[in-house]
Amino acid sequence: MLNSPLSVHNVTKRFGGKMAVDDVSFTVNPGEIIGFLGPNGAGKTTTLRMALGLIKPDEGHVELFGGEPGDESAFGRIGFLPEERGLYKKQTARESIAHMARLNGMKGKQAFMLADEMLDKYGLSEAKRKKNKDMSKGMAQKVQLLSAIAHDPEFYILDEPFSGLDPVNQQVLESMVREIAERDSTVIFSTHVMEHAERLCDRIILMAGGRKVFDGPTEEALAKAPRRMIIGSDTEGYKDSITPFAKSLETREDGALDLILKDDAKSQDVLERCVKQKINLTRFEPKQATLHEAFVAMVGKDLLATMELEDAEVAS
Amino acid sequence: MKMPALNLRRTYLIARRDYLGYVKTWGFWISFFLPFVIGAIVIAINLAGFSVSPTRYETILDQTGSHSAAILQSEADKQEELMAGILNGLGGTVLNEQDAEELEDIIDTQGIDEGKVYLETKMPGSTSRMKALDSKLVFIDPPSRDLEELKSYMRGDKMASFEGKDVKLNGVLHIYNDGELTADYWSPNVTDNPVRDLAKSYFRDVSVDNYLGSAGLDREGYEAARESRIKIEAFDPTKKATADGEGQKVGSKDRIPYLVAFALSMMLWMTVFSGAYMLLTSMLEEKMNKLLEMMLATTRFSEIILGKLLGVALLTLTAILPYIIMGIVGVIGAIIMGPSDVAQGLITAFSPKMIIFFTIFLVLGYIFYGSLFIALGALAESMQDAQTLTTPIMFVLMGAVFIVPIGLTTPDSPLLIFASWFPLSSPFAMLMRLPSDPPLWHLIASVALLAVTTLGVILLSGRIFRFGVLSGAGVKVATDWFKRKILRRKVT
Repeated sequence: MLNSPLSVHNVTKRFGGKMAVDDVSFTVNPGEIIGFLGPNGAGKTTTLRMALGLIKPDEGHVELFGGEPGDESAFGRIGFLPEERGLYKKQTARESIAHMARLNGMKGKQAFMLADEMLDKYGLSEAKRKKNKDMSKGMAQKVQLLSAIAHDPEFYILDEPFSGLDPVNQQVLESMVREIAERDSTVIFSTHVMEHAERLCDRIILMAGGRKVFDGPTEEALAKAPRRMIIGSDTEGYKDSITPFAKSLETREDGALDLILKDDAKSQDVLERCVKQKINLTRFEPKQATLHEAFVAMVGKDLLATMELEDAEVAS
Repeated sequence: MKMPALNLRRTYLIARRDYLGYVKTWGFWISFFLPFVIGAIVIAINLAGFSVSPTRYETILDQTGSHSAAILQSEADKQEELMAGILNGLGGTVLNEQDAEELEDIIDTQGIDEGKVYLETKMPGSTSRMKALDSKLVFIDPPSRDLEELKSYMRGDKMASFEGKDVKLNGVLHIYNDGELTADYWSPNVTDNPVRDLAKSYFRDVSVDNYLGSAGLDREGYEAARESRIKIEAFDPTKKATADGEGQKVGSKDRIPYLVAFALSMMLWMTVFSGAYMLLTSMLEEKMNKLLEMMLATTRFSEIILGKLLGVALLTLTAILPYIIMGIVGVIGAIIMGPSDVAQGLITAFSPKMIIFFTIFLVLGYIFYGSLFIALGALAESMQDAQTLTTPIMFVLMGAVFIVPIGLTTPDSPLLIFASWFPLSSPFAMLMRLPSDPPLWHLIASVALLAVTTLGVILLSGRIFRFGVLSGAGVKVATDWFKRKILRRKVT
């Protein structure tokens, strides 16, 4: 059996007495794409930095490819993109990519050829010999991402890779992650935008307030989200027939009903009741659950609001 | 003690990037070629006989009729004396002792022109470059005997004539007697008044002559009496005695090793300072743009530190290469041109001992300060942080610059001796002591102390570097530590 690229065992980290990561454990299995989710300040970046050995945990320990983080055994096998972006201002795009590829063990000529190939592939041909300081923010971000992954590592650790990218480049990045997955490499990426994780991940780890609140397949996380549906009808009193299935029910501006189903109720049951009672339906829209809803369901609205408030205070 | 493991390829790649990162910039090449460009401009100016001061046309309106000729003669004598000094100085530098003495004799007995001829035969082309040294002061006959009219010449309303061309009169020395001998100098140029100085000197001599004359004496006798004074020669008992008694004599060449030590010490200081500062900024750039985190995912701390030290060392050597080349060419040139005093002094100055210890102190001093600055760069979060953190070390470095010149006059100064043992200043101060030949054990012990301290600094810097990068807390960590441990205050 292949070694786990990463095992995090009960790690805890405090900064100035404030708990940043609280007793977090998880294992990353080979070939998985893991979304490391949570709002800003949830402890995602700190956990990833501990995973790489960039920060020492106060308690617990980390195994990277079976060894200590920072050991020779992991060098060249990891592609790391930090949350905050930057490049050597006076290097050109191809030099930046080739430099990191060479540090990761690639030969000089091969590294430059690969840099040119990647820049062509991702629409940055004209930036090859452009200095990083002369590039747009989006271009520079793409170059840094290519620097992190050019050596085709086994394990990708991408901290907020989508942040700062425009929608077109977010799509490009998603397709890059899919390509990586096709090569059976392992990816863990952090994000606070749940949609990316929904589309890309086999598994998600949800973090909130420094604690892990969920770790499992994406479907399992989605199942934790409340099931919503919109139903509309021109039949008098149809609301009474539907109320027994609803945990909560609100009337929309257009007269349709916005309902959250009870845990044991299904949308098929609602439909069956409507047919039996000859209710003339004008709308019947079961809503797909989102990870955001699952996340809210797991951590509670109040905690989420508190965290977002704290986050806003830190930012200001 | 466990030594940090190293991957040489990665270390080389980090060194290479730091080196090329600077070398590929225009700024680097501008500073690289600047000494050559300045040298070329100076030579071009010299060849073209261009002078920074323009020729000034002056006149003397002597209404007494008894001083003008004497003042002009005094100016000619002064120029001759100046030129004799320059010729003798040049001879002392480029000729051997015997030829230099012969040149001095020729100048004394046959005059400047014969001296120039002699120097030209010994060193062709040397005197043709001296045109630029000719006086820029030209005395012309007064275009008018009326002071009021002369003022219009100075204002430029009228032009005077010199060798058939119109020239503007710069100044008038007006000497008259209205019951008392008086001299006034008129000129629109209020800052540069050589004629006024010349007149002052002349009338001072006149006063001395009058005074001596009142006692039946003259100035020639006074000068001869001064010349016949007892001359005091200096001897150094530590030098090797020779049969002619000249071996232990102290001459100007004995000062050269001190001047060379001073120059090398300053060069070492500049190399260490600029290298350390480059390391600081390079480290700070990587810390601030988070490239350091990307690198640490694939590289060891020790490889980053060593790679940076090597890259910037090579860069600093490249940057000072023009000065090294010019220095070597100059020293070799002086030695080849003959066994003059300067050449002998240079050979003594660049002794194997000086070269060996200069190399040792350069390497140790650079590593000492370089690794310290890398650590501080890693601890800082911004340029302001870096300045705050490096200020104490900057003070020490600046202090060393003030101590080194003491060695030029007082190589046995207790302060210099202390500085030559103190590791933060020993690289610069011990070099300054070398010409006075300190005991070998002093040198070895100072190097050993510096080496041990450097090793300690490397280990400490490694820890600070790790802490700085890993904590991400920047200068606050240092100030918090100071508050907790020194001020005994609670830190929130």
